[in-house]
Order: sequence, then C-alpha cells, then structure tokens
Amino acid sequence: MSQSNFGGGRSGGGGRGGSKPGERGAAGGRGGKEQGKRYFFRRRKVCRFCADKIDYIDYKDVKVLISFVPERGKLLPRRMFGTCAEHQRKLTLAIKRARAIALLPYASE
Amino acid sequence: MSDRIYEVLFIADPNLGDPELDALVAQVQGYIEKEGGRVQRAEKWGKKRLAYVVKKQREGSYVLLVVEGGTALVKELERRLRVTDGILRFLTVRVDEDLAKAERRKAQRAVEEAKRRAHTGGRPPAPAPAEPEEVEL
Repeated sequence: MSQSNFGGGRSGGGGRGGSKPGERGAAGGRGGKEQGKRYFFRRRKVCRFCADKIDYIDYKDVKVLISFVPERGKLLPRRMFGTCAEHQRKLTLAIKRARAIALLPYASE
Repeated sequence: MSDRIYEVLFIADPNLGDPELDALVAQVQGYIEKEGGRVQRAEKWGKKRLAYVVKKQREGSYVLLVVEGGTALVKELERRLRVTDGILRFLTVRVDEDLAKAERRKAQRAVEEAKRRAHTGGRPPAPAPAEPEEVEL
C-alpha cells in the first residue's frame, strides 16, 4: 500500500515539475519517512541482473519480473532498483511483453 | 533463408476440457507444420489467473510453443490464431537473436574467467578484494 503511494507520488513528478529553485530545494528533502526508504533502495546499487549474471530477461518469468513491478503495476525508473541501463532496457521490454499476454497487469484495480 | 526461432505463447479458453485443449494445441501445431515450420517444444502451463480480464475471462490456459520457421510462417500463423475459436490471446516473440547474444555473453565471461585464472598462476582466483563497504548516509 505504502509502496504504491510511493511510486505514484514520484512519477507524478511533484518534485521534478517544480520549476522554482526554492521549490526544488524543498523537494530534494521530500517526504521525511519516504526518504529512508529511498536510501534503502539506493544502498544496493549494483544491478541485480549483472550480479546474478542474467543475460536474458525472460518475459515468461513472472517471479523475477514481479519483483521489479510495484503493486500498482507501473514501470519504475532505474534509480528505484539500481538496474544498469542495459538491463533496465531489457527489463522494460520483458515487462511490456508480459503485460501483453496478461501475465502482468497494465494497471491493477 | 535461414530459419528463425520464435516463441508462440497463447492463452486458450479455460472452459475447454483437457481433450479439447489437446485438440486445440494439435490444431495449432498443424498450422505450423503445414507452413513448413517445426515445433521444437510444446509446453502446457495449465490454468493460470490472468492479470486482467481478456475476452471476459479471468483465467486462461497458457500454452507455449517454440517454433522454428520463417517470416511467412509467423504471418500465416498469427492470422490463423486470430480466427481460431478458443484462443483468447497470443504473443509471438523472436528469440534466436537474443538467446544467441546471451550465449555469446556467457562464453565471453567464461573466457575472461579463464584468463584471470591463468594470470593468477593457475591458482583459483583470489577471493575478490573486499570492496570497501560503501557508506552512503
């Protein structure tokens, strides 16, 4: 629950969209409680696919994919999971394929 | 033209009985063979809950076929899958290139590993120097 709020809030671009410098500064330290969480993800900053030496991210492997998709079903930016650019690209494609065949939701109710 | 390898994953109507499902799979395999393709592997995953409603169904029987064939095959096969009753949805993915790439990557990794081993004089690679625990707060 809290996780889905989290994802939604971020991509809602509350902080990013702020154009006034003062606002941005405030956004940097956004949401005291949530920030702790953010660091939690940050710390493990090695790409999980690189670490596990996975070269092919299979769209059929729901177990793996689901761990990179929050409850709400959204794709999350790289900074959330620390995936490297290459693996993020493959992951995104795999998730989109899995959605097409109803293994993953586009957006869950 | 060298043939490609595709994965054809389709969702069959969950209300089909076992014999009917088998018949459906055989029918699809028939399409493939008629177009000069070869079925390398067929897997039935059984009934799974769908992530969202497809053709008013909340469940579906997943069937995976690994197929070898050309582009004409895929074109015809997809057309037929679209008009076949009892198939809720299908997805065709070309996998030969990506799997080959992954293989190459793996082989390359093995080579590098061997090189490293040779470099350390045949001894098994020393345990990776403990990376300084990154302190980030």
